[in-house]
Amino acid sequence: MSEWVKVADAGEIPVGEMVSFTVGNRTVAVANVDGDLQAFDDVCTHNGCSLSEGELDGTIVECPCHGGRFDVITGEVVAGPPSEPVDVFEVVEADGEIRIRTRNDD
Amino acid sequence: MDVLVLGGGLAGASAISTLRAEGFDGRITLLGEEPVPPYERPPLSKEYLRGEQDEPTWVRPETWYAEQGVELRLGARAERVEPAERAVVLEDGERLAYDGLLIATGVRNRRLGVPGEDLEGVLDLRTLADADRLRAAARSASRAVVVGAGFIGCEVAASFRRMGLEVTVVELFETALFRVLGPELGRVIEAMHRDHGVDFVFGESVARFEGSGHLEAVVTERGRRLEGDLAVVGVGTVPQAPAGVADATGAVPVGPDLAAEPEGVWAAGDVALHDHPIFGRIRVEHYDNAIKMGETVARNLLGAGEVFDDPHWFWSDQYDSQLQMAGFATSWDEMVIRGSLQERSFAAFLLQDGVLRATVTLDRKLDARRSLPLIRAQARPDPALLADPEVDLRTLRGASG
Repeated sequence: MSEWVKVADAGEIPVGEMVSFTVGNRTVAVANVDGDLQAFDDVCTHNGCSLSEGELDGTIVECPCHGGRFDVITGEVVAGPPSEPVDVFEVVEADGEIRIRTRNDD
Repeated sequence: MDVLVLGGGLAGASAISTLRAEGFDGRITLLGEEPVPPYERPPLSKEYLRGEQDEPTWVRPETWYAEQGVELRLGARAERVEPAERAVVLEDGERLAYDGLLIATGVRNRRLGVPGEDLEGVLDLRTLADADRLRAAARSASRAVVVGAGFIGCEVAASFRRMGLEVTVVELFETALFRVLGPELGRVIEAMHRDHGVDFVFGESVARFEGSGHLEAVVTERGRRLEGDLAVVGVGTVPQAPAGVADATGAVPVGPDLAAEPEGVWAAGDVALHDHPIFGRIRVEHYDNAIKMGETVARNLLGAGEVFDDPHWFWSDQYDSQLQMAGFATSWDEMVIRGSLQERSFAAFLLQDGVLRATVTLDRKLDARRSLPLIRAQARPDPALLADPEVDLRTLRGASG
């Protein structure tokens, strides 16, 4: 497993918003779902669009390009064109920081 | 209950997926005219056509149908429906009984009906087989003539340019995408194509295709001769419902809940002439609509009694730009622009009598999706707020309805 990486200060992502970060060679989106942070791959598995530029509705992120919908907690496809889930990552808020850990074995 | 689905496209596939997801464990049979299971058509004019994608995008893996207890009958075509008998008659005379029947047979391409249309090198695009022929032809072609500047024509033209072909588009109307977007927005799309090296001939139709065996030139009604070794005809479609449920145009008229008049018969996707609660009688040939109508028919087959009031939404990817349209409008008396037509980054809000009917965006994706609740609510947004890029459409009155 890779190391925890600080991506932002705690509280930087408002409720209902998403922010994109580069972590190693990946682009990771962090969504604030009613106060709980969820991290997931910011690349739609359908055509590669940035999911964080789309809409967040509860736990569902909707791709701005072709309307694919993913559950940000499980990464599973909920609707639309994508057939593969997006990866989800561990995220914590600790010591005033938002930290992400991406797997490097995939 | 035995459910029979006619048509192996996205609407039919969406309906059977939803039936199983909702726990329906009765018999499902899907009849598809094409020899392959349901696949997605959008890549056929883009990634698949350009050869960036080898395999078609299957809606479900091939094994899914057997796993879900869905009987796939491919290469099979229904000749007619006998609603009084609750039976479908196939071309070879076989009869299939149903309790619930979904007509999702889609459309076929309209032909020009001019001399030379059968020449080698004159193609069109709807099915996977069409796309295979077209991409093989495009690899060895150098000069393409695209007939029709609708969505198929524009997307194919963009792909051909990316593949290095010279492209001329012949279109009867005065600019690209004229019938959907009108002249002002159509010209923005036209300019984008011109910047990518596409030539246009507007206000002309095709009189004939010329060549000895293989296409050599496309000749217009006014006698203009456009040389080319490949032509693609994209001049509209004809719905293809089977006899017994089709109206005079080949479509299936359905009520707000997508039920056709005969008991137990439903329609979804391109073939459905829908009595939409907001827009009236419309027939919509887009991806998202096929999925959503299929889902609604599935739930209504199981007794949900839902009205289909989705405000409609689609996209078209051309070059590195994306056009999106939310809603439905064939005419409007006011157009409000947010952003810049010149810079090709805008949202155009189309209003009729102050009511937002549709939003067209070019590279301002969120404004199309965020218009959907306003369109559904038939909201009358303040044009000054629509025009202001700082105003989040979700905050406008009616957006939460």
